[in-house]
Parts: sequence; structure tokens; C-alpha cells
Amino acid sequence: MKIGAYTLLTLLLFSFQTTVLSSVNPFGIQPDFCLVIACFIGFRTGPVHGLIVGFGLGFLQDLFSAGPFGLQTFTKAGVGYLAGVIARNLSNREPCSAFVPVMACSGLSAMVFLLWSRMGMGLGEMLYGFSYILLPQAVLDGLVAIMASWVFGRWLFEAPSP
Amino acid sequence: MRGRFRPGVFWGSGVKRVGVAVLVIVFVVFALLPRQSQFLFHTLGEPLADLVAIPVKGMAAVDRTLREWWMHYIALQGLSQQNRQLRETVRQLNGEVNRLREQAYMAERLASLLEFQEDESVRTVAAKVIGRSVSNWYQGVILNKGEDDGIREQMGVITPAGVAGRIVRTSGSTSIALLTIDPNLVIAGMIQRTRDEGMVQGTSQGLVRMKYLPPLSAVKPGDVVVTSGLTGGFPRGVLIGEVTRVEESEDSLFRTAQIVPAVKFRHLDEVLIVVSPRSPEAMLSLDHALMAPGPQNPTP
Repeated sequence: MKIGAYTLLTLLLFSFQTTVLSSVNPFGIQPDFCLVIACFIGFRTGPVHGLIVGFGLGFLQDLFSAGPFGLQTFTKAGVGYLAGVIARNLSNREPCSAFVPVMACSGLSAMVFLLWSRMGMGLGEMLYGFSYILLPQAVLDGLVAIMASWVFGRWLFEAPSP
Repeated sequence: MRGRFRPGVFWGSGVKRVGVAVLVIVFVVFALLPRQSQFLFHTLGEPLADLVAIPVKGMAAVDRTLREWWMHYIALQGLSQQNRQLRETVRQLNGEVNRLREQAYMAERLASLLEFQEDESVRTVAAKVIGRSVSNWYQGVILNKGEDDGIREQMGVITPAGVAGRIVRTSGSTSIALLTIDPNLVIAGMIQRTRDEGMVQGTSQGLVRMKYLPPLSAVKPGDVVVTSGLTGGFPRGVLIGEVTRVEESEDSLFRTAQIVPAVKFRHLDEVLIVVSPRSPEAMLSLDHALMAPGPQNPTP
């Protein structure tokens, strides 16, 4: 039942992000809602589930991405896992506490993309990518995580019922 | 029990372990055999892509309807529609003027050769943009036409205004186009006035750059850049953009021109996918014919 609900939620969220939300891009940067969801699943249910859900979400994104196949799949899986590991060691459970972990996960994931897509294009492109894509996206994903934490805070920061 | 996480909400621990093991194996295989794994992933994902395309197309239709409704009925109904039509007309006319100018250049030289080679017609398929690539690192759009409509990878994507990009991935009912402003896309271009050829590549800033121009090229700001037709996917003479700046460094053998693309990528709604441009071989033979000694190319 839960798997079905999560699959439906993922499909709707993905469709929403690629269509309606594609025009929501402050400063030309689009927040990655799938990354935030992968992090939240990691927070909520631990690294292994974060990894598996991240893998699924990334695979879905890869199907409709203009980049090489597999990049989204493995970065999202890594992010889900990392979020689960971070959550285990997180003592503060306020909504704002989601900002730093999600920002860190987004930054690390974006670093993989930066190296993959801009390597060999010169230092200028690398620095531009770091300053104008990687950093703003990490901050934006962190802010989205805070907003989502306020909405789903109860679900996110409390242990699942048996 | 705040802060305590319990694993095993969705799956039993045995299934979970197997799942993780499978993922690790997949990751290792992917790292060792990236090309083969990408092909395998793509093949496996194709049916899923068709399935996922259904809600994406539905959502895109709702989005389009809402936006059109807003544009036509709320935000300055009459003016908005008129403005849009006029802009579309100007864009089409610009493309037409450019095409005719290119044809005029070609006709001039062909006439001097007393030899005419018939221009093969370019076949295109119209497609709607139903979504955008979710990654900020790749500038791509999702189109509502796929392999079932004859769309294949590496086909060119154009609009009446000019070159938009190239198809990089296809599924049965959708395809993904990498836009011209992406640094990972390279197209063979030509300065229309001087006929100098170079490689057109996007930049992270959303501009386009033309590299490898000859050092003695007379390119200057304001020059129009078109496709040379030498690489697959595009016919010759499709507008790419206009030169805004020419860079020349002492340690480089070539000149580089910065170009403002003709297509407004933020407002890309409909595109044409070039199904059959003239083949590169045909273009090469045409170029050889044009360069052969004649009234305009006298033998030294």
C-alpha cells in the first residue's frame, strides 16, 4: 500500500516538476524536488530506504534527462543514503535543521554533475558552474527542504508507527 | 521516541539486503562498463518512459491550457493575442528572410557555374514541448513525439526562428532534445557573409560561442551565423544567431565569436524535428562543385 502511494506521489511530483514547475526558476535555477524527496525518505526511514527510493527517483529523472543515462540514478541513490546516515546523527529535529543536510547533499550531487558535464571545457566554465549553478541550487534545495519540513514536519521528524 | 528511526517500513530486511546488493552490483557494472550499461538502462527504461509520459503529457496539457487561458482571457485579452501573433509573424519572417538570403547567395554562385544541383527538400515533424529537463546542468526539453513518429537520436530540432537543438534520447512516444545553449552540444556553423566555418557550442551563461574560426576571418559583430549543413541533423542555412563580439587571443590559432541565439529558449512551445536534412555527402559534393574553377573561382 505504502509502495503504491509513494510510487503515485513520485509520478505526480515528477510530472509536476517537469511541466508546471519548470517555469519556477528563480535566478535561472530550478530546485530539484526529487532530490529533496530522496533526502526526506532517507531522513525518515534510514539510509537503505533512502538509497532505494533515490535510485528509483533518479532512474525516472534519467529517462527524461538530456544528460548521460545513470548520472541522476546514482547521485540520487547516493543522496538518499547520505541523508539517512546524516539523520541518524542529527540531534536537532526542528524543520530548519533540514536546511544544512539537504544543502550538503545537493551540493555533493551537483559536484558530480559539474565534474561530469563541464570537465574539459576550461576553468571558466567550471568556475561559472560552481558559482552560478552549484551553490545557488544547493541553497535553493535547502530552502525548499525547510518549506517542505514545515508542511511535512510531523511526518518527517517522528518515528513511523509500528 | 523522537529521533529514533526504524528501518524496514516498506520491505523486510531480507528483501532489503538483496535490493542493496543488486544496487551495488549495478553500480559496479555501471562504473566498469558505462557505455554498455547506459544502453541497457535505456532499453530497460523505454517502456517505463512511455508509461511515465502519460501523466507528464496530461500535466503539460493542463499547464498549457491554464497558461493560454491566463494569457487570452485575463492578462490583456486582445493586446496579448495580437502581440503574440505579431511576434510570431516577425519570427517567421526573420527565418524566411534568412533562408531566402542564404538561397540568394547560393543561387548566385550556382548560376555562375552553369550547373544546377537540385535542392532536396527538408522533411520535418512538428512537436510540442511538454516539459523541461529537471537538471540545471543540461538544458533540455521533453517533446511529445518519439520513435513511433519516426524520431531518432541526433536529429536536428529547429523553429521558424532558427536552430533549437538536437535529439539526444528517444522513447516510443517522447524524445529529449538538448538545446543549442547547452555546452555539451556542438553544431557546425558558418558566418553567412564571409562563408567562414566553425563549431558552434553553448555556454553555461546561456549564450552560444562559435569556435575555430580562421585567424584571418573578417567576421564582425552583427554578422549572421547559420548552419553549414556539414554535420548531420540540420540542413544548410538555418539561422543560429547573430555575432555580438569577436574574441582574438595571441596564444590561440583561431578566432572565437560570441553569438546571441535567434531562438528564445524560455518561450519554446513548438518545434520542428528535421527528419531528413540533405545528407552531408550531398553537401560536400555541392561544396566541391562550388569551389571548382569557374567565373567566381578562377584558377590561380
